[in-house]
Amino acid sequence: MAKRFFLLFLVCLVSLVGFSAVKNPDTIITATYGSPETFDPQAMWDTSSGEVCIALYDNLIMYDGDTINFLPMISTEVPTMENGLLTPDGKTYTFPIRKGVKFHTGNDLTPADVEYTFERGFLGDNSSGAYTLIIEAVSGGKYFSISDWFEDWAGMAYSDAVVEKEPVSEEAKEKLIAFYNEVIDPLFVVEGDNFVVNMKGSFGPFLYTIVRYAGWAGILDSAYMKELGAWDGKADGWWKWHDLQPEESPIHMSDAGSGPFKVNVWDQENQQVVLDRFDGYWQGPAKIKRVILRDVQEYSTRKALLEAGDVDCIAVDAIYRGVFDDNPDLQVIEGFPRAQVTSLHMTWGVDPNSEYLGSGKLDGNGMPADFFNDMNVRKAILTAFNYDALIEDLVNGLGERVPTDLPKGFFGYDGTLPMYEFDLDAAEQAWKEAYNGEAWENGFKIVAMYNSGNEIRQTCCEMVKVYTESLNPKFKVEVLGAQWPTYLKATREELCPLYSIGWVADYPDAHNFFSTYYHSKGYYGKRHGGDYPQLAADLGIDELVETGVSEPNPEKRIEIYRKLQEIVIENYIATPLYMPQGLYVGRAWLKGYFPHPLRSNGDTTPDYYYAWKE
Amino acid sequence: MAAYIIRRLLILPLILLGVTFLIFSMIWSLGPERLIGTYVKSPEALKSESAVERIIEKYGLNEPLPVQYAKWLGNVFQGDFGYSNVGRTGVREAITARLPYTAELAVYSIIPVVAVGIWLGVVAGKNQNKFKDHSIRIFAIIGWSLPDYVFGLLILLVFYSILGWFPPGYLSQESLDVLRSDTWTSVTKFATIDAIINWRWDIFVDAIRHLIAPIITLSYLWWAFLLRITRSSMLEVMRKDYVRTARAKGLSEKVVINKHVKRNAMIPVATVAGGMIVQLFAGAVIVETIFSRPGLGNFTASAAVQLDYFSIIGSAMFFSTILILANLVVDISYALIDPRIRLS
Repeated sequence: MAKRFFLLFLVCLVSLVGFSAVKNPDTIITATYGSPETFDPQAMWDTSSGEVCIALYDNLIMYDGDTINFLPMISTEVPTMENGLLTPDGKTYTFPIRKGVKFHTGNDLTPADVEYTFERGFLGDNSSGAYTLIIEAVSGGKYFSISDWFEDWAGMAYSDAVVEKEPVSEEAKEKLIAFYNEVIDPLFVVEGDNFVVNMKGSFGPFLYTIVRYAGWAGILDSAYMKELGAWDGKADGWWKWHDLQPEESPIHMSDAGSGPFKVNVWDQENQQVVLDRFDGYWQGPAKIKRVILRDVQEYSTRKALLEAGDVDCIAVDAIYRGVFDDNPDLQVIEGFPRAQVTSLHMTWGVDPNSEYLGSGKLDGNGMPADFFNDMNVRKAILTAFNYDALIEDLVNGLGERVPTDLPKGFFGYDGTLPMYEFDLDAAEQAWKEAYNGEAWENGFKIVAMYNSGNEIRQTCCEMVKVYTESLNPKFKVEVLGAQWPTYLKATREELCPLYSIGWVADYPDAHNFFSTYYHSKGYYGKRHGGDYPQLAADLGIDELVETGVSEPNPEKRIEIYRKLQEIVIENYIATPLYMPQGLYVGRAWLKGYFPHPLRSNGDTTPDYYYAWKE
Repeated sequence: MAAYIIRRLLILPLILLGVTFLIFSMIWSLGPERLIGTYVKSPEALKSESAVERIIEKYGLNEPLPVQYAKWLGNVFQGDFGYSNVGRTGVREAITARLPYTAELAVYSIIPVVAVGIWLGVVAGKNQNKFKDHSIRIFAIIGWSLPDYVFGLLILLVFYSILGWFPPGYLSQESLDVLRSDTWTSVTKFATIDAIINWRWDIFVDAIRHLIAPIITLSYLWWAFLLRITRSSMLEVMRKDYVRTARAKGLSEKVVINKHVKRNAMIPVATVAGGMIVQLFAGAVIVETIFSRPGLGNFTASAAVQLDYFSIIGSAMFFSTILILANLVVDISYALIDPRIRLS
């Protein structure tokens, strides 16, 4: 009898352990860190907002699963030269708009809504939003903001034309109205059931800037937006809605989309966003009814919540790799590429007044402002860096080396290109040749900076210190942590000689990285200063970046980017340290996850439309 | 005493003016190029040539300090404390919305802190150098030396991860759904009290379940502190002549302790307990973060990290006000406990 009871007990125990019930089967709950800035897609550029906007809005096209190939979405076809929806000059895109798509309000989605969306994004051009990417693309790479475009076209600065949301004069008002009528309006046209974009110049990655997962390009319900008090769609007065604060948007905490989910509540106090399924979704309703996105700052709390089954997936940093491997209730996916690169930036022309220059001379207590102009100095730093140790020890193997500052898998990536070797002998030789041997003889002191709290960047700087100082007792590297505002200023104004940086992709194309890193007017390129602009012109770097993006033929673009990468490697201009890899940790009952490097929080949370629990 | 209270209250605006100007000056000394870090979370947002200038102009970061401060002060007089990036609403609204969460935690914490802390101190004092005293002192040393975030994590591990009793957060999702529904009437914004008003015992129990672990964390650290103060105070008073006289009169030990020792020993304890109200609010910074609870602590910590200066100033004003009022209450309680003290 006792034996039977024991067996029954054992069966019950096994049932309980082996078939633990799915908690909240109709709801996916995630715990990450960081809360959204706004739900207005055109005013946001952060991953938390992006994650929400992807669920709320539809785009013209979308990615095919975990690839970077396109599929139709609101546009029934992806424009290509083959199907005739992209003109041979690469300047006119035609999107046939799908019928029968409903917004959450019940309104029908029409080509006019798409036109309104793009025009509002352009005219609104929120300075904290990502529409600058589409402005860059549609202007053929010429402008990054509407105010710059207006200034160029009207011959007067936008800030001189509009003060406190009102035109300063009748003449300014006329120019503003004409700017819309003559410049912006013709860019986006409705032709029957089609929406047409007339670009000012060919821009290869344009479609990447508007595809789903580019959350900023979601299509808005124009009638509802106007009803809420957003831009009224008229030429007269558009400036009243230009560059508003995100919270001034009527959809700051709600939505005007047609996506698979709609906003239930953004609970600021409890730091959670609740999205409900939109049952009228044109692709069919999502499998789950509700999504709850929780902002839980503390890792231990997130871990405890996950292990208890109260949340379904959490954000986990690379240093915690392996912690969850033995838990059969969890699913761990790791090693997939992420759309970012971590690099080492050297300022070729440091501001002579910079406090980080030290003595400004090669006397062991500082460095000359133009120290990194010397290729041998750059070579010495880059060959005295233990890349493998960085990947194995610092990021727990969740990283991969890349030849240039471009993530693996992106258009233009070429794995056959050479990579810098960790070679202290070569570094020593380079130092001996640098500055005609003065650097080796006299020594120097370099400041290497990171933003406080970023342990990976800190360790990168410390590795530079350890290996460089090991070569010569006269070499000194001071590692300096700075708060984010100070770091931002020091790096932006060419005050800091050496620092670790990163770039998260806006779209999976080489241009996003090469224009940023290597063009002499790019975000990081211009911060080299010194001789870099001249060298970039002499070596043809700027020209290659510019022709690369405007070349409509993909094969020719690949050739251009190969050549460009060879130049920046040979001249030690490329400074990649590694490309981070993703680590996803979720409950085993959460199904349908697939990583995508371009999805906001895509290494942490699923695409909610495709996810379910069982 | 009334004149004293009025005088103290009249000083309050001056102190707030000083505090806000000090914080304002410190923040503005960073300069506009650094302050854009408040609005820019990643380098990508500064990609365009004119982005920096646009952000500086948009938020008026390049105006002189006196102009900025005068503008802010003018707005404050009209009830506008600025916009909170962390709260995604006005600073006043953000603080008002979060205050009940922290207040509920602090109010429920202060009961065990004071009751248990004083009781332990009295027991230790009464049993000086005996086993009970040693045990309580070891308990105190552990509590005093453990950082609150370590103790909090330990509590989370034991009571949630292992035992599954007390989950983190404010309420369960089911309860939160009820709170957000039209059927819920929010009177006090204290989940426990509103649950009783709404006759929802399930939510009352849920709220208590979510409160216990943070309360234990907050309390333990303060028990350690309070019992040490009470113990030393007890020992000091027990050596006084009037206590010896009371014993010599033949009074029972119980009467001596309760009537002659405890009351006099409570004077320094009252001083500490008054300041503790503020400290409990401050302690909420860590506790709310670990237990993922909403509240002022969580809000202030996020504001500091994100350099959300309007929220920082607003929080500082709030905490300054609480501190001044708490000190006033302590002073008044002095006079009530010890008739020898006269407030003038």
